[in-house]
Amino acid sequence: MAAASNLAHVAVSDSTDVALAAGGDRQAFERLYRVHSTRVFSLCARMSGSRTKGEELTQDVFVRTWEKLPQFRGESAFSTWLHRLAVNVVLNARKSEGKQASRTDEGDVDEERWDQTARAPMYVERMDLADAISRLPAGARKVFVLHDVEGFKHEEIAEMMGITSGGSKAQLHRARLLLREALER
Amino acid sequence: MTSSNMNCEAFDAALPDYLEGTLDDSRRASAERHLSECVRCASLLRDIENISKEAGTMPDLVPSRDLWQGIEARIAAPVIPLAARPERQRRFAPAWMGIAAAALIVSTAGITYMLTARSLKPTAGSTVAQVTPIRNQPQTTPDTDSGVTPGATAPSPVDVGGPSTQPGATSRVVTGAAPTRQGGIPARLASQSTADREHSDLVYGKEIQMLQNIVSRRRDQLDSSTVAIIERNLQIIDAAIAQSRAALARDPASHMLDQQLTHALDKKVELLRTAAMLPAST
Repeated sequence: MAAASNLAHVAVSDSTDVALAAGGDRQAFERLYRVHSTRVFSLCARMSGSRTKGEELTQDVFVRTWEKLPQFRGESAFSTWLHRLAVNVVLNARKSEGKQASRTDEGDVDEERWDQTARAPMYVERMDLADAISRLPAGARKVFVLHDVEGFKHEEIAEMMGITSGGSKAQLHRARLLLREALER
Repeated sequence: MTSSNMNCEAFDAALPDYLEGTLDDSRRASAERHLSECVRCASLLRDIENISKEAGTMPDLVPSRDLWQGIEARIAAPVIPLAARPERQRRFAPAWMGIAAAALIVSTAGITYMLTARSLKPTAGSTVAQVTPIRNQPQTTPDTDSGVTPGATAPSPVDVGGPSTQPGATSRVVTGAAPTRQGGIPARLASQSTADREHSDLVYGKEIQMLQNIVSRRRDQLDSSTVAIIERNLQIIDAAIAQSRAALARDPASHMLDQQLTHALDKKVELLRTAAMLPAST
């Protein structure tokens, strides 16, 4: 994580660039992109379980940000607002993938994938945590990333994902147990 | 692996709340006593805490390429007013739909008229179907003069014209059956005279040919996955038609096979009509 002074610098730079970008200044928006792209990409790639998909989603996030920027009121830090928007873009992208994605979200397809890959004997060496996260069932992966990686609370996750707080806790615990199982090998 | 207050199973159940810090004091104390005595549960807790801690300190990932170019291209694209798309659809789609609908109405009216007129002609007093080979051909090689091998109905992809129903491809004479309606599309006779069969095959052939022409012209307007599904279904139906023809060649008296063939032909017409009327993809 960046030092406090860096964060303050980013926040000050952000406020100017946010105002300029909201007025249509593409260069200011590119500066915002340069500052925040890796964090947004990390979120997108980890939540989707794919770096390729993460790149697509990152572009979607910044296009959406450009469109929504005039509505940003500065009630929270730009980075917080952007992060929340990124989560929504990722979650909505999953929803729009239709029934197949729904099945994946329920764990049907990904559960199978988990069995076939994470538990496969080819993994002689210990699996990297990031790799193991990408192989989690979709529902468990999203909750794990939002909670343990991004620091969202269960109530926030429940609201964003349209599930209950208890459901979020259950998915988190499931994810942690599956990761432990994968990392033990 | 048990303590007086909590066993491993109870600890497993309490673990999420323990990690969240939402256990009441009494249960938390029980859990901690159990942890002090149970290596398995202590190891589980330690592993999960480590995973959670490590996850929170994972470094940011870096995209494999600069994504800005793509973003800039998208935000720089001219904004198309939302009203423009429906307007374009309104101009285009109804015109096509109108032409297709008119063609279908004409063809449906024609096919219905021709088949109904044929089927309602009084047949000379026969009420029992009789089956005889046509044109003095042996039943085993019934279609050689029509150039069609029984069962060789080729699949008909959407972009390839040509009906799979060949006039004269039916190798039997069936006379004297009462008219019945099949599938609600064209009126077909379950058992037909040679002339009726040839005539209805001709009508089916024309109908299918016309519909395939419409669908072929519309191919570029349809979603590619939809076209692929239509083609696959046509192949299945064509296979059914070919099988029915081959089976009828071997057993021309079979009323069931005759119905099967009629049903398959009706299905093909129905599918092509549906495809012809599909709205253009946006």
